[in-house]
Amino acid sequence: MNLVDTVYLDHAATTPLLDVVRAAMEPFLDERFGNPSSRHTLGVRAAEAIDAARETIARALFVRPEGVVFTSGGTEANNLAVLGFARAKRRQGAHVLYGATEHSSVRAAALALVDEGFEVEAIPAAPDGGIDFEALASKLREDTVLVAQMLVNNEFGTIYPLRRVATLVRERAPRAHLHVDAVQGIGKLDLDLEALGGGSYAISAHKIHGPKGTGALVLTDPAKKPRPLVFGGNQENGLRSGTENVAGIVGFASAVEAAVRDVTATHAHLAALRARLAEGLRGIEGTELLDPAPASGLVPSPAIAAVRLPGAPAEVWLHHLAQHGVLTSVGSACQARNNALSPALLALGLAADEARSVLRISFSRTSSAADVEAALAALARVAGELRVAGARP
Amino acid sequence: MNPSSTEREPAAELSEEPELIVARYGELWLKGKNRRNFEQILARNVLRAVREISPARLQRAHGQLAIYPERRTREVSRRVQDIFGFTSVSPAWSSPKDFDAIARIARHVLGQAMRRYPLEPTVAFRVRTQRADKTFPVISTELDRRIADHVMPDFEERLHVDLNEPELTLSIHIRPENAYVYAERLKGAGGLPVGTLGNALCLLSGGIDSPVAAWLTMKRGCNVSFVSFHSEPYIGEGSKRKIKQLAHAVSHFQGPSRLYSVPFARCQEEIRDRCRPGYRTVLYRRMMQRIAQRIARRAKAGALITGDSLGQVASQTLENLTCIGAAVTIPVLRPLICFDKEETIALARRIGTFDLSIRPEPDCCTVFQPTKPVIRGSLAVCEEEETNLDVEALVDAAVAGVEIIRIRGARG
Repeated sequence: MNLVDTVYLDHAATTPLLDVVRAAMEPFLDERFGNPSSRHTLGVRAAEAIDAARETIARALFVRPEGVVFTSGGTEANNLAVLGFARAKRRQGAHVLYGATEHSSVRAAALALVDEGFEVEAIPAAPDGGIDFEALASKLREDTVLVAQMLVNNEFGTIYPLRRVATLVRERAPRAHLHVDAVQGIGKLDLDLEALGGGSYAISAHKIHGPKGTGALVLTDPAKKPRPLVFGGNQENGLRSGTENVAGIVGFASAVEAAVRDVTATHAHLAALRARLAEGLRGIEGTELLDPAPASGLVPSPAIAAVRLPGAPAEVWLHHLAQHGVLTSVGSACQARNNALSPALLALGLAADEARSVLRISFSRTSSAADVEAALAALARVAGELRVAGARP
Repeated sequence: MNPSSTEREPAAELSEEPELIVARYGELWLKGKNRRNFEQILARNVLRAVREISPARLQRAHGQLAIYPERRTREVSRRVQDIFGFTSVSPAWSSPKDFDAIARIARHVLGQAMRRYPLEPTVAFRVRTQRADKTFPVISTELDRRIADHVMPDFEERLHVDLNEPELTLSIHIRPENAYVYAERLKGAGGLPVGTLGNALCLLSGGIDSPVAAWLTMKRGCNVSFVSFHSEPYIGEGSKRKIKQLAHAVSHFQGPSRLYSVPFARCQEEIRDRCRPGYRTVLYRRMMQRIAQRIARRAKAGALITGDSLGQVASQTLENLTCIGAAVTIPVLRPLICFDKEETIALARRIGTFDLSIRPEPDCCTVFQPTKPVIRGSLAVCEEEETNLDVEALVDAAVAGVEIIRIRGARG
């Protein structure tokens, strides 16, 4: 595959490593290979590297270092929060709520709790793409122990009004822990984790130009701990046993540092790219940017654009665009059976065929104005190709 | 502890691992001049299949092959069970040809075999001697009795002799140069050695049926190559990867092969835009057969193989199969034609292709599918519709765009 001619617009899936991140990692793939649990100097140096990484991330996110629990990535962080906090609070209640449009790593973990005797319910989505607050208010109970609500939807980019969720949870379900999947938020939005009101946040390195295989569960109050999922040598303060991914963690810290430092500039840059995409799409007949209704007061993440496309399933568009070097994503595969369609897209009220017609274009700090122009040109060409081919329905 | 065995010498200190594998082949096809050729092909197939596990030495004998791996005999034995042409397989120990040596090894082999019956209070048992070497001083029935007398005290009352319906048979083969002792007779894959019946080309989709059809044809001695049709850029490379994995998995039973990957979107576009919607599927499949026939010629394959099963989907009625088959002159084998889906699924599970087949990966894009496919197509209509197409040019272009993918087909 020739990457020189590739326009990569699938950053919500993963991002390329930044040079500074790679440079930070290299010594730990090389001579600094020690096990942080070893007693000799090589080991102690590795442990110190992890300490430093933890402090860097804590400082960037304004949390205490003990609140940063390294995991294998966003999925494990979400699993640790959902399973771990529900189990830790089992004596106080057995009612769990999760957002209707949550990532599978939250939804599937929540549903797995059913086998342990929990009552698990989804918080319905509002027709405007946001949260149905009336339904949420009615579902919150005294014995609700966990609420999981993502910050930015990974498929269509909606930023959820998390403060309002947090306030409601505090009022109606004072025992509940609020977990927030912030994987698509960090590095794109200027976050104040304390003010947002969550008790824990899942973040992932490879979505912000760090390495794959590393993430963290960030606890705003380190005294409130989930039950661990992985047992053994009590690394990560007993919350996540297993020899640490030292190089990955060091790279992760470097990526978080860069992402948070540059977030204002990145946000403005992404917003400009998305605005230009929206403008360009108006010139391609039948396409539609899937934005929250203006009246809803919701805003989309500048990094993610969900586009409804005419004529053929989005996956057909995806492969045609790939022929022109433009790499994108679909939430629901072309032939996905109705029960395999994206639950998030269906929760927005889209019909099955509409869900199959949604293409995701996602940006990051390394995206350029030229990428957007190339994508628009490719979309226009593919529209032509598919229209010609689709002459007879 | 067994009091009677403590008074005796301990059983032979032999390795847990058998020393050789006795693999038997059917005699049916061993008539005439072909026999030597068949045996050579079978021996080659064995060496190729077991190579990745261990180097091995082969010894041919009447109706059977003795395989001496350097190591990991049990695993080699399991591998040999998947090679077409063998009816049964026995991991065995060899022994010098004197009574005491045979008896010592017999006790060891029986001791291992009895682990398969940990809970049974008694096991029906017999010894069966075959003398290929009639000069051996003890006759077979006499040896049976003497070995039984020698080994039974090791297991007190747990063994009782039953010559007619034994659960456990301790077999002793007296051969000119040595003796084999074994107590297991495992089922072989049956069929004929792959390669003895020439080559065939299987139209491989991503579904459950076609890999099973390929396997059945291998079982009858054919070397199978594969052809698949992809609709890029309407669908992605993921589909091609799945087809490769399927070809690789089923080739476990035959060894290295080739997959011819044909670009097919152009044919589909033309048919969709120029022909009656209801006939699309039948016309696509007629084009596939034509292209496959061309490739078969190149691959020196004497037949096409499809996974068709009568009545399973709209294109598999007698009328539609007739329309599709009429597009080519090469024979089309349809090993699953009268299988129920459940029967095919059971085989797919057994040969290890089922889990791959059910992975969701589109093999043809929905934009090409007609809403109402014709159930009882007419050949005349097919031919009339095809006058709207430049059939030869489309076939030429598709064949010119073929990508040849090597299939290792080692351990699946």
